[in-house]
Amino acid sequence: MALRSVSRRLGSRILNHRSFVASLHSHATSFGFQEVKEEEKSKLVGNVFTNVASSYDIMNDVMSGGLHRLWKERLVGKLSPFAGMKHLDVAGGTGDVAFRIYDAVYSVKRRALQKVDEASLEETQIYVCDINPNMLNVGKQRAAERGLRDNKSLVWVEGDAEALSFDDNSMDGYTIAFGIRNVTHIEKALAEAYRVLKRGGRFLCLELSHVEIPIFKNLYDLYSFQVIPNLGELIAGDRESYQYLVESVRRFPPQERFASMIADAGFEKVEYENLVGGVVAIHSAIKL
Amino acid sequence: MYRTAAKRLLAGGGFTTTRILRYPKLRSTIIPSSYTSGLCTSSMGGGNTESPMGNQSVNPNQSGPTAGTGEGQRRHESRKPRAEFQEEQARVLSASLRHVPRLGWTEEAMMAGSRDVGVSPSIVGSFSRKEAALVEFFMDECLQLLMDRIDSGLDLQNLIPSERIAKLIRIRLEMQVPYMSKWPQALSIQAHPLNVPTSFKQRAMLVDEIWHAVGDGASDLDWYVKRTILGGVYSTTEIYMLTDNSLEHRDTWTFLNDRVKDAFDLKKSIQEAKYFAEDIGAGVGKSVQGLMNGVMQTMSRRSGGSAF
Repeated sequence: MALRSVSRRLGSRILNHRSFVASLHSHATSFGFQEVKEEEKSKLVGNVFTNVASSYDIMNDVMSGGLHRLWKERLVGKLSPFAGMKHLDVAGGTGDVAFRIYDAVYSVKRRALQKVDEASLEETQIYVCDINPNMLNVGKQRAAERGLRDNKSLVWVEGDAEALSFDDNSMDGYTIAFGIRNVTHIEKALAEAYRVLKRGGRFLCLELSHVEIPIFKNLYDLYSFQVIPNLGELIAGDRESYQYLVESVRRFPPQERFASMIADAGFEKVEYENLVGGVVAIHSAIKL
Repeated sequence: MYRTAAKRLLAGGGFTTTRILRYPKLRSTIIPSSYTSGLCTSSMGGGNTESPMGNQSVNPNQSGPTAGTGEGQRRHESRKPRAEFQEEQARVLSASLRHVPRLGWTEEAMMAGSRDVGVSPSIVGSFSRKEAALVEFFMDECLQLLMDRIDSGLDLQNLIPSERIAKLIRIRLEMQVPYMSKWPQALSIQAHPLNVPTSFKQRAMLVDEIWHAVGDGASDLDWYVKRTILGGVYSTTEIYMLTDNSLEHRDTWTFLNDRVKDAFDLKKSIQEAKYFAEDIGAGVGKSVQGLMNGVMQTMSRRSGGSAF
């Protein structure tokens, strides 16, 4: 796995401004490679996830060959959860990241090694926010299977990443895994993330991103456009949703551009790490 | 100056190939001495370390969390002073040192420190090699303090070199006294393979600084030998101090003086052996007269020349 990070700071990037405003507009009006009206995009995306909710986890495993688990582990590792933290996982519908954070905080081994007092453990709150109730239901079901149905630490909230219902400066951590690609206005989501985070809070984004390595890029494109929609049809019975998925990955801003967008939202120490040559990137930043 | 070099090496020579491009405006990370004055020498109760820095990055809108500044947040950026991450990290680490005697060189101490500063403990997750960051920060602080003490007129002129060295090492080791109960943990953190490059570099800078203060300007092979020997003396004394329970660490200072004396005696012995070998070399192939002349010369050189 090649690791590469770039730090950006809030500074004047007027030269880039016009070009990325253009790409922002294009993100808001793009549904994959189709052009749609801004108001409709949200509805179309909603339909996609309503359709895929039930087979979302299986498809993740199949499409990534199980690698998505490692990526999410890495994301949570970077976060370094601690007892008593208030964490918000946005677009975290089926709860993958949230469960991992829960396990990290409550793991017996960790509690034995470090001096964790039970009171702060009780205060831990992990909010899982998703715009799509079907995805949330799948997540709640999985929680029940793990015996966490009535656990006070996991809170399932229906909400929009662009207009969160949480207070300012209330979260220690904010993660969004494979979700920011689907919001209509990325900068609004980033602004909301900035708003709800406390000072010192961390923003972490795991997302499919752009591959630049020459031959690998071609292989990846081949896999994306030839194999994945067919898998979608075969396993989930829904070719269009997975066609949307691979197209939306291509339309999403590349790593550097996205990093500068994060910096423009006000974050400090913006870095990104490429996994699998750029197929996936973890962007991280701090609110100061 | 030392610290930026160390930090640059630290960023570049890490375990992975993570590259961090610095902003052009990155300033030197040497923290002014007034900021660190109460830090190492007094006990952990020095609570005014962040006040000189505090007014730099106070956020007026932090007191009201639900003040509804959502839409105005972006506009506030231009008004409130941008707290750089490095500064923030330094503040958190500095505040964490107060908790080290109780919590050790751990993430808990750093999270407690971050709470003191008024920042979410999440920030600790972004420090590279977390506990090592705290230990390295402390080592840098102590080096800076030592340099300040030297600059502010430590009386070294009346002492012979061995005494000067002993005094400087003593000053430096006394800075660690408040943390002595947890110092073994710090040493083990420094010995961890990932952290060895940085800790070695910091110790090398410390030893270099002490020799500079003593007045040594040699730049030949001797340079490495001197620093290695001093590094050895420093480390052994440091370790001896871990288990020393005498009053005011008197036994440690006795140990230190003995070791410094040994080092100087060793130097003298090596020099004498060198001269003796020269004499032998000179004597071979020459007459006995020539040999005697050579020995007389050496003796006068040794008694008349400086011993150092």
